[in-house]
Amino acid sequence: MKIISKSDFDDFVNNLINDDSLNVIGVKARGNKFAFSPLQTAEELRLDYDVTLLPPKKYFFPQRETLFTYDLAGGFSAKEPEETKPMVILGVHPYDIVALLHMDEIFRETKSDPYYFKKRESSVIIGVNIQKLSKWNFSAFMGSSTLDYGYDLMLTDLGNRYIVNVGSQKGEELLSKYAKNVTTALARDIQIAGQKKREIMNLSQQNFDFSPELIPELLKDSYGRSGFWEKHSEKCLACGSCVLVCPTCYCFDVKDNPDLTLEAGERIRTWDGCLLEDFAKIASGENFRATRPTRYRHRYFKKGKYLYDRFGFVSCVGCGRCSSNCLPNIANPVDLFNDMYHEMQNSGSRIIASATPEINIKTEEDINFVPKLATIVKKTPMTAIETLFEIELDDGTELGHKPGQFVEVSAFGIGEAPISLSSSPTKKKTFEICVRKLGNVTTRLHKLNEGDKVGIRGPFGNGFDVESLKNKDLLFIAGGLGIAPLRSLFNYVLDNRKDYDKVFLLYGCKEPKEMLFGEEIAAVALRDDVEMKATVNWCPENEVWSGNIGVITTLIPQVSFDPETTLAILCGPPVMYKFVIADLKNKKVPDDHIIMSLERRMKCGVGKCGHCQINQIYVCKDGPVFNYAKIKGVPEAL
Amino acid sequence: MKPKVAFFDFAGCEGDQLQIANLEEDLLALLGQVEVVTFREVMKEQSDDYDIAFVEGSCTRLQDEDRLKQIRKNAKIVVAIGSCAAIGGINSLRNYKDLDSVKKTVYGDNARLFDSYAARPIDAIIPVDAYVYGCPIDREDFLHVVKSLLLGKKPETPTYPVCVECKKNENVCAFERGQFCVGPVTRAGCNSCCVNEGTICWGCRGLIDNPNENSEKEVLIKNGLTVDDAISKFRLYFGWQEAKR
Repeated sequence: MKIISKSDFDDFVNNLINDDSLNVIGVKARGNKFAFSPLQTAEELRLDYDVTLLPPKKYFFPQRETLFTYDLAGGFSAKEPEETKPMVILGVHPYDIVALLHMDEIFRETKSDPYYFKKRESSVIIGVNIQKLSKWNFSAFMGSSTLDYGYDLMLTDLGNRYIVNVGSQKGEELLSKYAKNVTTALARDIQIAGQKKREIMNLSQQNFDFSPELIPELLKDSYGRSGFWEKHSEKCLACGSCVLVCPTCYCFDVKDNPDLTLEAGERIRTWDGCLLEDFAKIASGENFRATRPTRYRHRYFKKGKYLYDRFGFVSCVGCGRCSSNCLPNIANPVDLFNDMYHEMQNSGSRIIASATPEINIKTEEDINFVPKLATIVKKTPMTAIETLFEIELDDGTELGHKPGQFVEVSAFGIGEAPISLSSSPTKKKTFEICVRKLGNVTTRLHKLNEGDKVGIRGPFGNGFDVESLKNKDLLFIAGGLGIAPLRSLFNYVLDNRKDYDKVFLLYGCKEPKEMLFGEEIAAVALRDDVEMKATVNWCPENEVWSGNIGVITTLIPQVSFDPETTLAILCGPPVMYKFVIADLKNKKVPDDHIIMSLERRMKCGVGKCGHCQINQIYVCKDGPVFNYAKIKGVPEAL
Repeated sequence: MKPKVAFFDFAGCEGDQLQIANLEEDLLALLGQVEVVTFREVMKEQSDDYDIAFVEGSCTRLQDEDRLKQIRKNAKIVVAIGSCAAIGGINSLRNYKDLDSVKKTVYGDNARLFDSYAARPIDAIIPVDAYVYGCPIDREDFLHVVKSLLLGKKPETPTYPVCVECKKNENVCAFERGQFCVGPVTRAGCNSCCVNEGTICWGCRGLIDNPNENSEKEVLIKNGLTVDDAISKFRLYFGWQEAKR
């Protein structure tokens, strides 16, 4: 531990500012509040602040960030933004450093976010122990009011001098390069610093009536707590302030911003929030968290349960920003959890901490947000609103997908949409997607012709585990557009027919003219190694239909399969699953013999942006293929 | 061929068209993409042959309806620009007063010569394809809508309130400064421009689709506004929307 006088510290800060190769940021006054901003002189630095308006995460994960710029004129070119100067961020409170450590793990999981880490790794964090506590702060309860790691330097104010903890080689070097008169701290100073740290936390005006370690346990049985979420969210403005100011929130939206030539532009990501009305709305118009109570609840579950189950931490550091920014004063986690605790106690529930979850975080590779250019080689209209596109990657590589995976398809200037692959990987060189005209991107795709360019990222998602299906009977059940993703597996099975036992295909549409892949289906019907049944909900007078009439479930009694050896593979509109699953269960099909593909508002493709999240599951990463046994208890899934 | 565009005005101050005329270098780039055939504020020529009609101002008379219907007939796309056209705007304040006394205030002894009825947004008369909200409109937002339309895209209009942009811009909340703001129920898309300048959101972009009005009024009153003042705050721009809800 070191000691530096305040005047020497000011010189140190000014030396940093005067080095043009650095971007020096510190806490400055803004009105009667504080904010991290670029420093012009050491005098502006206010290390006596209580809390800043926004946390310092904005420097690593900015409110608006260009992922790449593109230009379509003269062929497609894309450019990632240039690297920026290394940052020195001065005056970060311990809870905000803990929050950055949370963000590090989130942005590193499965796929690593290069935009975040480039900035994070090149910057220096100079922390300061809290000198003035915001009345909303409860970081002491969250174990983040002080910390011994995660910073390069950490300051404690001792009146006319700072005690400096050196946390890294980078911090050490910074001191030796830019500071003078740094001496070794005396035992006396170390003791005073320790006392000061403890004293400030005793001033906390927020108090948990129980140990916050129990939060995941409280939430476990509170999802459907009668009236609880409605009561607490009644005054919610759905303004998103609580999540936008949160140091551990990381959800984002991805958009295209074309310039006025309409041929060039940028793809950006901006902060988004799960409290906002359209956060969980998908192109079909379905919104799986349409009401304020469900979104309000999601925030607490995400912080207190979902991230805990995945990472082992409650993703709240107790900064109190959500509480202080909520105008109707309903966002304070301390109030909500205390109320939940008392309600549970009064009802006689025993609340005991369960074992910490097993954490298995792996990083495979970097996320690539820049799509590969690809060409539409064939466009086959299938119905009034659905078209099959055959696509080839321009760099000549194979997509290399598994059945059941999806790609993100870009129409530059419009945006990106997740679309399931319809072709089997046994089909080489090109791949197919069946696209329904629904949102902006898919409407644009329908206007494109053979030879036109699109952008492709992926393949993404887990896909079907074709090995585990081997030597089993397979019962495919497809509703409407659900045939599109299933076709990638169905055709794969047909191409490897000897590896599988009996194969059934049940396919239902609303009416005959909505039938997809009509010729292929007709050809399948002639095969003697597949039992195929099709149905329509109704047949208008001007259309012809000789098959079954009725909803998809009316086909299930028409095929005889052995529930013990059969795996049912489902894909269809949300409403279909409930009824089909009920009928399969009546037929004694075990839960783990039901495999389904779910689609949600997949945006980034890699489980980061938060849009595809249904309860604890990221559809784009953990799915879209799920075993029913694993998701039957997930309320937002079905 | 470049799409032909035309600008029309009804009851309003023409401030939105002024915003467009003031686009500076972006105006030249925009003229590379569209052909302006009617724009009374900046040119003499006019034509009935257009693809996109931008309509400013609210409908305040029966005879306005015929003109609006004709515009709808001529245009493939109708865009309401500005609060008056998009949400009824401040013109709708008078809907809460006796029409005769309003006319008398404006026209004095000649009041009987002028025809008028309750002010309303243009979508009370004709279907509207896109909206550029604001009083006046934000130039960037206007360009965003125009680019979207030219690309064949339904313009993305925020369904969230101004608070989202305010928080991203790291403003000190107007309530924290002792002021009263309707940003929590007002549609975003202006980049919280007024609060960025140290004032408040007056609500010129109108209510979001599903505002929690009761909670917002409670917040205003809890922070010291009288009930009457809270109601007035809502009426300034939300008058038509509130009456409809």
